[in-house]
Amino acid sequence: MTHRISVFKRYLKSLINDELCCVKLKKMKLVTKKITKKELAEMAGKMFGNLVKAVVDIEKKVIAVDMPMHADGEKLLLGKGSRQEALWGINLHPNETGKGWIEFDSMINIRPHFDNLTRGINDSKTREKIIKIVSDLVG
Amino acid sequence: MAFQHKQLAEGGWEKLTFFEQMGNIGSEVSRALNWHNKDKTNFQAAFNRTLELLWLTINWAQKNDPVKLKELTRVYEALGDYFVGENQYQTSTKFWQDYFLAFGIAARRETLR
Repeated sequence: MTHRISVFKRYLKSLINDELCCVKLKKMKLVTKKITKKELAEMAGKMFGNLVKAVVDIEKKVIAVDMPMHADGEKLLLGKGSRQEALWGINLHPNETGKGWIEFDSMINIRPHFDNLTRGINDSKTREKIIKIVSDLVG
Repeated sequence: MAFQHKQLAEGGWEKLTFFEQMGNIGSEVSRALNWHNKDKTNFQAAFNRTLELLWLTINWAQKNDPVKLKELTRVYEALGDYFVGENQYQTSTKFWQDYFLAFGIAARRETLR
């Protein structure tokens, strides 16, 4: 009986470890100080290959990067007190040059009640704010 | 900001229990599923209402029950992915019906208790 319990415990532990491994893989980074495109490229290599998902807080001027879903970055920032309205999802392509390296495309951006009906960001001022924050924090 | 559910956005939503909130969102999801690929205007209205109510619930969770944020923000993204994206998370009509039905049942149980 004791043996059975310990086998069961080992089984449970293995399940938990699997879960923890997944969590570890999905660890995000909150960017508050400058990071390099090279660091982003390494993140991209480990997750999607050519892009890093990111969520920008245009009020606090911080970015959550490296997540499987934009929702996860949103959750991280909401948990740190960000206002939902201030959060926008983008994709960063660290190997691209020029404007194309920031892609305004995320499901979390669809906000009918803010007249943003697409995955992009309609408001040019918001896009400019995001470009400025990304430029300040990634170099 | 132009919420279709103005009264709810002005505080009424937060008076509902979490299960009631999710049950109501489920009703809008059900309408969106019903009109999806049939009637663009009705679908868009239901889908918009779905997102705005879910938005209010995420706001509520941030203040009252942050442990729910992970799931709620993922639901928001996955709903968008299903209805207007490429369905990369491979959800289905049945998946969304079942998911929200559970909250509807829980809300009814609360009421009948």
